[in-house]
Amino acid sequence: MSDDLLLRARDVSYALGGRQILDRVSFELGPSQITTIIGPNGAGKSTLANIVTGLITNFDGAIERRPGLRIGFLPQKVYVNTLMPLTVERMLRLTRNPDASEIDHALAQTEVGYLKQRQVRSLSEGELKRVLLARTTLGNPDLIVLDEPTSGVDVTGEIRMYELIGELRSQLQCAVLLVSHDLHLVMSQTDQVLCLNQHLCCSGLPESVSQHPEYLALFGQKAADSIAIYTHHHDHEHDVSGEPAGHRHD
Amino acid sequence: MTEWLDDFLLRSVLAGLIMVTIAAPMGCLMVWQRLAFLSDTLGHAAVLGVGIGLMLQMVPIIGVLAVALLIVFSLSRVSNFNSALSETTLAIISHTGLAGGIIVVGLLPSQTVSLESILFGDLLATTATDLLHMLVTTVVLLILLVHHWRAFVALSVSREIAQAEGVEVRKLQFLMYAMIALLVAVMMQVMGVLLIAAMLVIPTTSARLFSRGPEQMVALSALYGLGALAGGMTSSYHFDWQTGPAIVVSASALLLATLALSRILKNQTP
Repeated sequence: MSDDLLLRARDVSYALGGRQILDRVSFELGPSQITTIIGPNGAGKSTLANIVTGLITNFDGAIERRPGLRIGFLPQKVYVNTLMPLTVERMLRLTRNPDASEIDHALAQTEVGYLKQRQVRSLSEGELKRVLLARTTLGNPDLIVLDEPTSGVDVTGEIRMYELIGELRSQLQCAVLLVSHDLHLVMSQTDQVLCLNQHLCCSGLPESVSQHPEYLALFGQKAADSIAIYTHHHDHEHDVSGEPAGHRHD
Repeated sequence: MTEWLDDFLLRSVLAGLIMVTIAAPMGCLMVWQRLAFLSDTLGHAAVLGVGIGLMLQMVPIIGVLAVALLIVFSLSRVSNFNSALSETTLAIISHTGLAGGIIVVGLLPSQTVSLESILFGDLLATTATDLLHMLVTTVVLLILLVHHWRAFVALSVSREIAQAEGVEVRKLQFLMYAMIALLVAVMMQVMGVLLIAAMLVIPTTSARLFSRGPEQMVALSALYGLGALAGGMTSSYHFDWQTGPAIVVSASALLLATLALSRILKNQTP
């Protein structure tokens, strides 16, 4: 594998209980790239994330990782053990030994510094997601894998969450693999889209994927249009008739 | 050399102290991982182990250990460690083990072993050999616990996060089951099946109410265990209660008192 790749998946297939979940999926992850896996429910998105992180090992095909690749992972569902007393600070020290300033920095990055001494079991779902996002940034990861990081977060929180992920990428210089179904919110931050429905329907830049026939078949024209609107960053306002007032494209 | 161990009361206190020491960390891990019922299951199935051991004229502990490890191994196959052990599976093994054990024990010549002593043990009849077994087991378990503590805690918080961050979840979970099997097998000689299960869960639950971190919960569990031991042995001495059950009842009394206290404190700080 060439040095400018973090990870390469080749013909990854996975079946569980006679049901094919992934069918010969291949892709590459480059450094500092945001890659988004989209697809309908049951498309195998989480399975693919779990294979990338090494949670699932009995798949067919191959995953090549750059030697020494450090991965931070935010699982889709984190079952918070309510029987266990645990502060947010301690949660950040679970498997590593970050010093106090690293912990403060990580929590500040996701704007939850004030939660440091709180019990994890007392957090709201949105707070927990941000704490877990802060956790993934510890240990200087090359790749962070985020499986539906906004589930359980309200819409305003959701938009802010994606902004934070974009900021983290530039601050940490790490790649991000994002599993999401919120297409229009995610697209503008994304360098590469993998459209998944057991097999890889299409992949590439957000704009090209959103016009791909298989994508349109899965999500419909409406979804594609909303992406087109969203990724087209306006520097002008439309008047009521749709005519631009004071037009300037960059 | 061991004349000082001749005093039966001293031996039983020592046995109690050893149990409390190892029950605190093991109990916390079991409660965190929702394995509290596993010790019950292993305990009940251990009756079968005792019966088989005696029938084959071995030391009972070998029979118990064999049965316990067999169960742990089968469970690891069945559950594939992908989810918490199902209550149903554990209950089936538990009842089958107990029923099978009662049949086997019933076939033995009478007075070989009493079912009551298997279930409740007899702390006051602790022998020097029992003490040695308990001590060695506890030291082995403590070494394993210290060595793997961080990983055990991570595993308890989230299996997914632990595995993604390099914790060997399957190995560790199997190790944990095997450790529970060893604990139950060795401790039941003296403590009885029911007392072990209770001491793994009740002091731990009390400790949880006022703990802010995992290690603090372990330390508090040990204190609650000590309290239960002291309360149980004292009431056993004064009121002629059976020692094992008296310890369990003391542990529960402490839990109730702690619950009441935490309610009062909660109401005071709105």
